[in-house]
Amino acid sequence: MVTAEDIWAALDEVPDPELPVSIVELGMVEHVDAEGEVPTVHLIPTYTGCPALPMIERDVHARVGAIEGVRRCTIQWRFEPPWTPDRITDTGRAKLADHGVTTPQCGHADPKHVPLHTSAIPCPYCGSSQTRLDSPFGPTRCRAIHFCDACRNQFEHMKPR
Amino acid sequence: MTMQDMMKDPLANIVLMHADDKLMLGHMQSDWTGLAPILEEDIAASSMSQDDLSHALVLFDALAQRFGLSADDIAFERDAADYRCCDLVTVPDDFNWAIALMKRWFVATFTALGIDRLATIDDEDLAQRCRRLIPEQAIHVRHLSEWVIRLGSGTDESNRRMQEALDALAPAASMLFEPPDQSIESTENFCCGREEMFEQWKSQCERTLREANLSATLTLSPRSMAGGRRGAHADHFASQLAEMTDVRRAEPAPAW
Repeated sequence: MVTAEDIWAALDEVPDPELPVSIVELGMVEHVDAEGEVPTVHLIPTYTGCPALPMIERDVHARVGAIEGVRRCTIQWRFEPPWTPDRITDTGRAKLADHGVTTPQCGHADPKHVPLHTSAIPCPYCGSSQTRLDSPFGPTRCRAIHFCDACRNQFEHMKPR
Repeated sequence: MTMQDMMKDPLANIVLMHADDKLMLGHMQSDWTGLAPILEEDIAASSMSQDDLSHALVLFDALAQRFGLSADDIAFERDAADYRCCDLVTVPDDFNWAIALMKRWFVATFTALGIDRLATIDDEDLAQRCRRLIPEQAIHVRHLSEWVIRLGSGTDESNRRMQEALDALAPAASMLFEPPDQSIESTENFCCGREEMFEQWKSQCERTLREANLSATLTLSPRSMAGGRRGAHADHFASQLAEMTDVRRAEPAPAW
């Protein structure tokens, strides 16, 4: 009998293709329905335009499908609740920080007034708060580019949504 | 159900209006990938094109499920007259950054107001999708507004170029508010008031323009005026559509 825990454990081994964290650590898994041989995994996209989504979908099929007692798995993409960086686990935050990517705590801000952090995000390299937003569009859809005036390094910050 | 059933549905017409704007905008503006003025903006412009195409897909997909069609077919297999985009979107920019930017800013500001309204309608699937798009669209509007201000209040030359772009596009901009459906009555329910939405758009645009030392007269075109949203497209739309669907016509159902 396959349990939800088995499936969550398998999902925690599915990596984000562009960051050193799993999709569970990133907060992309909303719900697992483990009943029967065909479990359903409910996933939330970080950004609608994220090109990694088909890759993640393929990896989830492969990894969950390999669990003994699972015939195949169904993936359901959901838009609610919306993904925010608040969904990233503490382990995920620590791994991202090691990778030089900082993460905000957002709370329930009005989505129309996106609280793009424009300054004072502690630099992941030198710790200085003399930092500023360089561009809201970074290497992937979920990351913005910031610049540290103290150590003159660029770093990435997860966008608030 | 068929494509024609979808085209008769008033709500579908409203959704297509935004999805088609985004499809054509995302397609056209990706021409700038590799050519935008600075590296950061090259990434930003490309990201916004990528967003626009995925937002279009999210909306096409909602219609696809509802009408038993495929999102790709809705995107690429309609007759030219069934596209509901505004022809402002497909005006060629001839690699003039001021034109490209001004056009994108006008459209993005309009779209933000549109999805905002769709996010509250009594249709949970569509409303959820639009709620997801709101924060992504807000970043576009903010980024584009900053560019308008930066260039408008920059040097004499950047101000002149932006004012020229504004003068060229402002008269056509109110065609964004053309109701896409023949039966205006039913459309109004989903538009939540064309005049009210125009006033909101106008005051947002004017606020940014003032900060940018730019000026324009933005007036709402008469209801009776028929343009792209009702299928009476300009020639530049036809050439963009032909270019966009070229691969698909050469090789039906291509896979990458």
